[in-house]
Order: sequence, then structure tokens, then C-alpha cells
Amino acid sequence: MKILIAEDTTDLNRVVTVMLQRFGYDVDSVFDGEAALECVDRNGYDAVILDIMMPKMDGLTVLSNMRQRNITVPVLLLTAKAEVDDRVAGLDAGADDYLPKPFAMKELLARVNAMTRRKTKYSKGVVEYAGFSLNTDTLELSAENSVRLSMKECELLHLFMLNPGRPLSADYILEHVWRADDAADADTVHLYVRYLRRKLSGVAAAAQIGGDRGAEYILTEA
Amino acid sequence: MESIYGNKKPELEEVMQMLLREIGVIRRDMAKDLGMDPIEHLLGRIKSEDSMREKCRRKGLPETTESALVQIRDAIGLRVVCAFLDDVYTIHDRLLALPRVELVEEKDYIRHVKPNGYRSFHMIILVDGTYYAEIQLRTISMDTWAALEHHLKYKKDIRGNLTLINSELKRCADELASTDSSLQTLRDMISDL
Repeated sequence: MKILIAEDTTDLNRVVTVMLQRFGYDVDSVFDGEAALECVDRNGYDAVILDIMMPKMDGLTVLSNMRQRNITVPVLLLTAKAEVDDRVAGLDAGADDYLPKPFAMKELLARVNAMTRRKTKYSKGVVEYAGFSLNTDTLELSAENSVRLSMKECELLHLFMLNPGRPLSADYILEHVWRADDAADADTVHLYVRYLRRKLSGVAAAAQIGGDRGAEYILTEA
Repeated sequence: MESIYGNKKPELEEVMQMLLREIGVIRRDMAKDLGMDPIEHLLGRIKSEDSMREKCRRKGLPETTESALVQIRDAIGLRVVCAFLDDVYTIHDRLLALPRVELVEEKDYIRHVKPNGYRSFHMIILVDGTYYAEIQLRTISMDTWAALEHHLKYKKDIRGNLTLINSELKRCADELASTDSSLQTLRDMISDL
């Protein structure tokens, strides 16, 4: 995990850097906003800690520049300003979290861990059911042999596998798998269920998806 | 030098032509129900002298007609390539129903995919109780993939990361299989309409 800390108070910068390194993070440290922006442009980070009050370019400007350039890495803002309006302004500008100074080191560490947690812990790619497995990173469905699914097929099968033996309506499925896609409807869901049925039988998985158009679908063991 | 096939080559040719004709009948019959030709292409060949001799040597067999026609069973080789997955299995079933044809051995590499990703259906049949033939049935995707894999296997000087190439070939095989399955589902859906 690689972190960038941009903090102009030298002692504080040093202490935070050393602490994060001790907990296994790879840390780059800078002391002003311009240097911070140069770093995020050049390198990939898993999280960025920005002090708001910095010379050359303040943290909020660095942040909005980053977001404009589509750099979506999680950002935690540090500052002496602790008013609600300041916190809201920071979060609205694109920050993921906000920690007012003075702060406890263990809280900063906990918040950095929380920001980077999704990358490792929740990314457990492989789910299993009824003797077959689905790797949500590689989109691979395996039992006796394996196939690579499309993104939507994988998300749909994953949804079924998170709800084994539970009937799911087309509306529920559309909300969870097709979300903002207006073009998708009950026909789309039914077609994708048909795709999965054939693929599950193709890999000889001992499972089936019951149900029909207009009713609910359910994943069960065969 | 006498042919490894003795004087049987004309008979082998005749059996191969008969099989091709029968497959033609199956094909036209299926086309009536499907509204489309199930076969994209059909190939038949009698294994060349050189290849057959080389295979005898490779298997430690004497280079005799007996080796070529009894021990080795792909003197006559056919390949049936279909656009759709289900048609592969339908043609397989109809071939076995032919009166002069007896199944000797078959391997479903579509269900039991080879570790490298290879998929096809292989059949060895005995025609008229006398001549063996090997028939490979596959989809266009499987055929495309097999052609590339064959090219790789016989290429002498491969530069580059072989491990990466092989794992990517496997990934592509599995993606192609998924697409074959989706297209078959769509065809089913269309015929339901």
C-alpha cells in the first residue's frame, strides 16, 4: 500500500510518515501543495493525506485539481479548521474523510486503514456454492471446466450466490445489477438468467436457477 | 516404394466420400428444421504417406499396412465445423445412427476441456466393420482457437513469454466458450419466438 502525505509542519510530517511506515505502508512525504500535485500526477497511490493549510497550493485546491483530472484515489484532509462548514466544504470538494487537528495518531492510522481496506479485504475474489466457484476478479466460472463470463453475467451470478435459496424478483435484480441502466428491463434479466443456466450446465455445476419471466428467480442446488 | 496403404487407398477414398455424402444428407435434413445450414465447413482427408509413416515410427509400430489401417485409426480424417454448439452434438448423434457406422471410441473435450483450453468432440468410428475413421466436431470458435494453438505448437523459434502466451490462450478459449454458449441461448430464444 502506497500513501502520500502532504503536510507543511515538518515535525508532524515526520511523525506521521514514520508511524505509517512502521505499520507497513510505503510512504512519500511532501511539504507543499504543488509538490503534492506533482506526485499524484506521476505516481499511483492507495490513499492521500492532505493538510489544508499549505504553502504554494492549499489542500482543497490540490484536491479539486486531482478530482478534475479524474484521479479518484481516496483522500483524507487534515486541518486546524474544525468548523462544520469547513468539513462539509472539504467533503464536497471530493475528500473521503476529514480529521481535525490536533488528532490522535491511532485515529489517523485507523482512518487510513479504513480508506485502504476495500482494496484488500473486500476484494476476496472467489465465491463458492454447490461445488462450483466464481472468481469475481477474473470473471471465471468453474466446476468441471471453466468459462469466462461477461461483467453483467458475473454480477448477476454473484448476486444469486450471495442469496442462495432466496427468491429474487426481476426488479430487485435490476436495482442491484443494472442500477442506472434505463435500457435494461425484465426481458434483459430473463435473457441473462438463460445465459447463466446454459453456462452453469456447460461447466457441469450442480446448481440451477429456477423461476420464470414475471415471477421470481432462485438459485438452488441441483 | 509401395504405399503404406498397400492397394487400399482407393477404398479409403471411397469410404471417406461416402461419409462426406452422408454428412451432406444430415446437413440438409437439419437445415429444414433449423432454417440454416448447421455446418460452416467440412473437411476430409486421407493421411499422407509421409505423415502416416512418421506416425508409425512415433508409436513404435512397423511401417506396414496393418499398422496404418488397424493400429492407427485416423487414416481417414474428417472435421466438421459448426456455427452453433448444439448442432455439434446433433450431428454427432446422427452420425452414430448411420447403419454402416459403429462407434469405437469417443472423447468429449468440450465437456472435459484439455488443460490448455482445447475444446472439440473426437469420435473414432468403424465403417462397414472394416475401415476406421476419425471425426472431429467443433464450433467455429473452437476451430479458430485450435488453429492458433497448432501454429504455436509447431513454431520452432518462439520468442517471448511462453507462460503468458499459454495462460492468455486459455483465457481466450474460456471466453470463446462463453460466447458460443450465449449465441446458442440467443438462437434458442429466437426460435421460441
